[in-house]
Amino acid sequence: MIAAFLSKLKRTDWVLTACMTCLIAMGTAFIWSACSTRQIAVIQNIWRVHAGTAAFGLAIYFTLASIDYRRLFDFVAIPAYAGALVLLVAVLIVGAEIYGGRRWLWFFQPSEVAKLAVIIFIAYLLGREGRRSFKWFAAAGAAFAVPALLILKEPDLGTALVLAPAVMVMLLVARVWTKGLVALLMVALLAAGLVLGTVYVAERQNDEARKAQMYSRLPLREHQIKRLKVFLFPERDLKGTGYSQHQLLISIGSGSVWGKGLRKGEFKALGYLPQSVSMNDFIFAVVAEESGFIGNLLLLALYLGVLLPCLRIAFKATDERGQLLAAGVATLIFCHVYINIAMSIGLMPITGLPLPFISAGRTFLIVLMASLGLVQSVAVHNEEIAET
Amino acid sequence: MNPSRWFIAALGAVFVFGELVLGISLFRLQVLNVAKSRESQAIQTIRRVRVPGRRGRIFDRNGRVLAECRPSRCIQCNLEEFQRRGASSNTVAAVDAAIDALSRALAIPRQISAREIARHLHTASAIPLVAWQDLDEATFARFCERSHEFPGFADHVSAERTYPFGSLAAHVLGYTGRSDPEGFENDPVYFNEKEMKGRGGVESYYNRFLSGVTGEKRVTVDARGFRPTRAHKSIMDETEDGDVAPANGLDLALTLDIRIQASLERELEGVTGAGVVLDPRDGAVLALASAPTFNPNECVPALTHAMYANLTNAPAKRGQNRAISEGYAPGSTFKPITALAGLATAWMPEDEYNCQGVYRLGNLRLHCWDRYGHGSVNLSDAIEQSCNTFFCNLGTAVGSNAVITAARAFGLGSRTGIDIGGEYSGVVPDDEWKYRWYNEHWYPGDTCQMCIGQGMLLVTPLQMAVVAATLANGGRVYRPYLYARREGAHIASAVRRIPYEDDAIDLVRKSMKAVVETGTGRAILVRTEQAQKPGERRRRFRLKVDCAGKTGTAEIGRGETKRKNTWIIAFAPYENPTVAIAMLVERGESGGKTVAPRVHNVLAGIFGEEEVTGGRPSVHYYEGRD
Repeated sequence: MIAAFLSKLKRTDWVLTACMTCLIAMGTAFIWSACSTRQIAVIQNIWRVHAGTAAFGLAIYFTLASIDYRRLFDFVAIPAYAGALVLLVAVLIVGAEIYGGRRWLWFFQPSEVAKLAVIIFIAYLLGREGRRSFKWFAAAGAAFAVPALLILKEPDLGTALVLAPAVMVMLLVARVWTKGLVALLMVALLAAGLVLGTVYVAERQNDEARKAQMYSRLPLREHQIKRLKVFLFPERDLKGTGYSQHQLLISIGSGSVWGKGLRKGEFKALGYLPQSVSMNDFIFAVVAEESGFIGNLLLLALYLGVLLPCLRIAFKATDERGQLLAAGVATLIFCHVYINIAMSIGLMPITGLPLPFISAGRTFLIVLMASLGLVQSVAVHNEEIAET
Repeated sequence: MNPSRWFIAALGAVFVFGELVLGISLFRLQVLNVAKSRESQAIQTIRRVRVPGRRGRIFDRNGRVLAECRPSRCIQCNLEEFQRRGASSNTVAAVDAAIDALSRALAIPRQISAREIARHLHTASAIPLVAWQDLDEATFARFCERSHEFPGFADHVSAERTYPFGSLAAHVLGYTGRSDPEGFENDPVYFNEKEMKGRGGVESYYNRFLSGVTGEKRVTVDARGFRPTRAHKSIMDETEDGDVAPANGLDLALTLDIRIQASLERELEGVTGAGVVLDPRDGAVLALASAPTFNPNECVPALTHAMYANLTNAPAKRGQNRAISEGYAPGSTFKPITALAGLATAWMPEDEYNCQGVYRLGNLRLHCWDRYGHGSVNLSDAIEQSCNTFFCNLGTAVGSNAVITAARAFGLGSRTGIDIGGEYSGVVPDDEWKYRWYNEHWYPGDTCQMCIGQGMLLVTPLQMAVVAATLANGGRVYRPYLYARREGAHIASAVRRIPYEDDAIDLVRKSMKAVVETGTGRAILVRTEQAQKPGERRRRFRLKVDCAGKTGTAEIGRGETKRKNTWIIAFAPYENPTVAIAMLVERGESGGKTVAPRVHNVLAGIFGEEEVTGGRPSVHYYEGRD
């Protein structure tokens, strides 16, 4: 019993745990900083909520790590997926409307839960020998498409955007219909290029009617087109649509090498960064302004310290479900990190996506820690099969 | 190794590459392009606020304060404490309501309107709004005691100009207004209060000295253009980088003597006129007055429309400094100059002319004021009796050029260069000038008119004071000044010496002494008190020192607008004079009757007077004009 526990401890990836904990600690500090200038007590205390959630998340993390994920999958994969779908439908019906979207069921966001549920369900679906045919590809595609469409309906383009690459990577790792998948990837890239190209060409048109006609062909909402415009022409309207992007850039840039010091950032204090998002989607700007380039390097290193162990676990996993799960979770986290930071520094259009572990957001944090708990469980348990 | 593992390894490479891209981008942004970001940040968050230095005081020569700054007790409103969501009109309404509440609580009437609040909010939200200014001490104390009840309001003491002697020397001092500093109108990040600026007089001429050097304070503003509220301030360092402390203005000690100034203004009370008292030894202005006058305290902090009208409306034109900016015909006070011109050319002191009461030149008939004529007079007698025909004859004999040269040698026709603005150069006409303005050539009659100080000749009272000072000191023309920038600087300001022999100047001086002793200007030397009761003797008071002077009565206009401007120039004591004076009264009777007693009083204030008992009774008294 004790020997088994010790061997489990030994197989646990401690780098992953340490880096994750460090990231959460950093997140707590910067949430405290971002909210310290706000007048409302509830908002000032968000960092406590973040720390409390993290403590709860750690419990879940270690619990999941100690449970064999394969047994868990058998029990949980289908109910979790079904439950997520129910919640996604429910949020569209009874969810509270905030900032023009229905994303909240009381205190949690079903779309965040759905991310993990989809990854588990697809890992469960494809993680067997012989499931390489187009039929399974179609099944997995449907398993992704249904919740993705519901999420788009909220609307939450960002969540749909990060989930797609994660599912794509899982399909590639599972080697299901690889050729078709690659082709699909190409089509997706082409479509993205086409949309951007259309906006670019339309913006250089002088004829307003023609412009409107070109925009009417794009399957995008008005605010999304605006963001693409800002991305393509950031200098155009610094006081209007380009304001947030401009403020993000100069607040990050003004942090310089060593940063201004924790809580010394001026952009969130003086309201140049939108106050409502400076502790979640825009928190990277606060981190960058206050901790500088050095702090950002540390942040990126910590993310690699989470991502690479996940991939190592996937690489070493003897069982395909574990491999898929670890790769899916790693991709999900990477996409979050990459998109959030890239949009902050103007490499991508602005999208509402939280920065993993750093941004305030209870549901997302718990989902992240649960995901990593499962990945840890893969590390701990998949070798047992080899032994037996 | 199965292909999945290859793929996972590749995925690892993608992650590392992706983070590398982010790292390089961040390096460019945070290390290479920091300056650009910092600059953008400074532009949007830092506002420069001008901080004026304290304005310097102005003293008279004995250290009496003529102008200084007094505290103005203000209540300021920090707009950032009243920010409301939504339209800015909500914030205006909040401030408005708060001001109303404070106004009721302290029972002080409101000083600013909602419109002014809105304007301040839109143009200068980063600096406090002055809700009340110039509160009395009791009200201010009441506010300070209860200020914790009114969050967002703060006490503040600013400076306001004050002139302790009221209207005294108003035209010399000028006043201060408030205006936006020049050159920053289009710089939206450069805030300022309305700053004190001298208008007119010394306040304006020495504004740069008095106002000191304006400093600069940097204020951080938030995204809405407000200063950070207290909650933010606790977080942010209050750095003073780039702040420049203001330098206070210099104090000026003027050459004025307020006792002389006061007596001069007393003598000008109730009339329209001007007077200037100079120290003939160096040109220092001891007193300079213009009547009617105004009280500069009524012009601060800002000139009202009513006050502006009061200053500029004709005929009083209270704001007009008649001593320097208005030209008058000098009348007979010009005759000493004509005399010097004559003595320098062909006229001998003992040459005589027989005054028949009228001077004929072609068709022109010029009357002497004594219609029966003075008889045979020499130059000295002519000055003493102010004989017109003598000087017409003299001028015709020596030619107009000699007279013009003499007038210009005394500085007439050009600005004296006194250190206050708005000076008029006056006119010494010549052929060219007349042709330009009247399209006519110079006639001998013009020479006659000029020789007796009439015609097109125009001088300012200050110029005549310089003439008096020049005759007093034996021929040195000084630039009159109110403030010596450097010790001894005035020595260099002796502009020139008039090109006449000492003997000639002496003769003129002697004649001018005769004017006050036996001639037309005896009232300068001796004051006669009319008998109070019938049978009582008239009492007579003589200056304690000898003096010299010249009367003048210039007739101008014709018919209904005909009037006489009456003049005196004088200096005292006769030997080593220390005071030269010129005084003008518009619409007077004659120099000897209207102005001479006033000049006597001014001189008596300086040198004292004593009652004359016995002595030689007056032989005759000239009732006519001079």
